[in-house]
Amino acid sequence: MSEIIVFSIFIVFIVISLLIAFAIGANDETFATVYGSKTLTLKEVLLLATIFAILGALILGEAVSKTIGKGVLNITVSDAITITVLVSTTIWLIISSAFGLPISTTHATIGSIIGIGLMGGGYFGLNWSSIIEMGFWWILSPIIGYVVTYGVYKIIHKHIINKLNGLKQFEKAEKIFAVLLLGTICWTAFSRSGNDCSNAVGIVLGGSQGISNNLYIFLLIIGIFFAFGIISLGRNLIKNVGTMTELRPSTAFAAEIPTTIILFIGTSLGIPLSGSHMLVASLIGLAKAQHAPKTKNSKKVVLIWFLTFPMAAIVAIGLFYPISLLIPT
Amino acid sequence: MKLKITRSKINPLDEINKEYLSEAKCAFGLLFNEINDLCQGHLEDEDLDKVINCEQKCDRLKEKYIEILFKNKRGLPFLIEDRYHIINTIDKKIVGRCELVARFLQVFPFDIYKDIIDGIADLNQKFLNISEELIKCLELVENNFDEAYKKTFEIESMRRNAREIKFNITGILYKKKGDDLRIYLTSKLVQHIYEIINNAEEISDYLRGLIIKYPSK
Repeated sequence: MSEIIVFSIFIVFIVISLLIAFAIGANDETFATVYGSKTLTLKEVLLLATIFAILGALILGEAVSKTIGKGVLNITVSDAITITVLVSTTIWLIISSAFGLPISTTHATIGSIIGIGLMGGGYFGLNWSSIIEMGFWWILSPIIGYVVTYGVYKIIHKHIINKLNGLKQFEKAEKIFAVLLLGTICWTAFSRSGNDCSNAVGIVLGGSQGISNNLYIFLLIIGIFFAFGIISLGRNLIKNVGTMTELRPSTAFAAEIPTTIILFIGTSLGIPLSGSHMLVASLIGLAKAQHAPKTKNSKKVVLIWFLTFPMAAIVAIGLFYPISLLIPT
Repeated sequence: MKLKITRSKINPLDEINKEYLSEAKCAFGLLFNEINDLCQGHLEDEDLDKVINCEQKCDRLKEKYIEILFKNKRGLPFLIEDRYHIINTIDKKIVGRCELVARFLQVFPFDIYKDIIDGIADLNQKFLNISEELIKCLELVENNFDEAYKKTFEIESMRRNAREIKFNITGILYKKKGDDLRIYLTSKLVQHIYEIINNAEEISDYLRGLIIKYPSK
C-alpha cells in the first residue's frame, strides 16, 4: 500500500475519532438533572460540562479502548468492521441528539454490530447468547432505574423532607442536596469524558507513532470535540431530559445518585447497564412517586430506544461496503 | 476577619423581610392609635400621614425584596413564587388597606356615635392583635411549621370574634335614623377595618396551606 493511501486512511481514522467524541458529547445527558433542578443555569452547565470533558479526556483518556464487537460477533473483526460500527454508531447518536433524545451508546454499537454480523455471517454470524444477555440487561436497566428511584424518593421524603420544619430548613436541605448532586455529577462527567474519549482515541492509537508521542495534544482535541458536542447538540438533550419531570435538588438527587452508584457497581461487575436508560426511567419513576401529572417526551425517548437496534444495524449494513472499499483488509 | 464571617452570613432577603415586617408593624400601631384617637374625638391629620409614609416605605422595601428574590436563579422556583405571593398579598391586602383606612379617616367628617365607641375600640383592638399575630405567623413559617400552624387557627378564631363585633356595630348603626350620610360613612369605616382583619385571616389560611404543602412536596 502506498504511503499516501496509508496516510489518507490515518486521516480518516482521526476524523472518525473526532466525530465519535462529538457524537458521544452530543448525547451526554450527565448534567440534565443539574439543569432540571435549577441547581445551575444552562450556561453554567455547559461551561462546567466543557471543563470536565476536557479534564476527563486529558487525565483519564489515556486508558486503552475496549475491543469492539468482542463476544458478540462470530466473524473475524477487521478494520473495516470496526470503522463501520463506529461510524454507524456515531451517525445514530448524532441523529438522536439532534432530536434531543438520549440513547445508549452501547446499544447503538451493539445494533451496528448485529447488522454487520447478520450481513457477514447470517444467523451464525452472531453470538446469540451474548445478544440475549445484553437484551436482558437492556430491558432490566430501565426497570432498575424506575424501581430504585421510586424507593429512594419515598425514603428521602419520609425520613428527611417530611421532618423539615420551616421554609428555611427546607431551603437549607435543598442546598445540601444541590451540593451533593453537583459534586457527584461533576465526578461522573469527569470519568465519563475520560472513558468516552479513551474509546474515541483508541481507534487511532498505535496507528501512528506521532499520535502516541503527542497523545495529550490529541486527547485535548478529542476533549474539545466532546465538549463541542455537548454545547452544540447536547444542550437540547440536557434541556429535554432535565425537564421531563418537575425536579428540585432533592428529587434530582433521588433520581441521579442511586443510578450512578448502581451503574458503577454494574460496570465493575461487567454488567452492561445503560446509564441513559436508567436515568430516563428514574425520572419516570420519580414522576410517578411525586404524583406528577405526566412525564414530558418519555414516549419519544422510549420509541427511540426501540429504534436504536434496528436503525443502527441498517446504517451499519448500508455503510459496510463503501467503507470496506476505502479500507482494504 | 470575624466581622467578615458575620457579614457573609447575613441573608439580604431576610434583612429586608425583617425591615418590611417591622415597618408594617409600625403602620398597624400608628393606625390603631389613630382609630383610638378618633373614638376619643381628637384625630390628627399629621399622624395619619405617618401611616401613609409607613405604607410608602413598605412599598419600596417590597420592591427591593422582590428584586433580590428573583435575582437568585438557583433558588427553588416554587419557594420563590410562594414568597413573592406572600409579600405581595400582605402589601396589597394589609398594609395597602391600612393606608386606605388612614386616607379615609383624613376625609371622614364625623365623630363616632357614642353608643358604638366601645365596639369600634374592640374592633380596633382585634385589628391590632390579628395584624401582630399574622406577623408572628410569618416569622414562624420560616423556622417552625408546627407553631405557625397553631397560630393560623388563633388568627381564624380572632377573625370570628371580630366578625361578631362588626355585626354588633352595624346592627346598632342600621337601627339609627336621621343622618344617612353619617350612618353610611361610619358603617363604611367599620367595613374597612374589618376588611383588614378578614384579609389577615385569608393570608393565614394561605400560610396554613403552605405548611401542609411543603412537607408533602
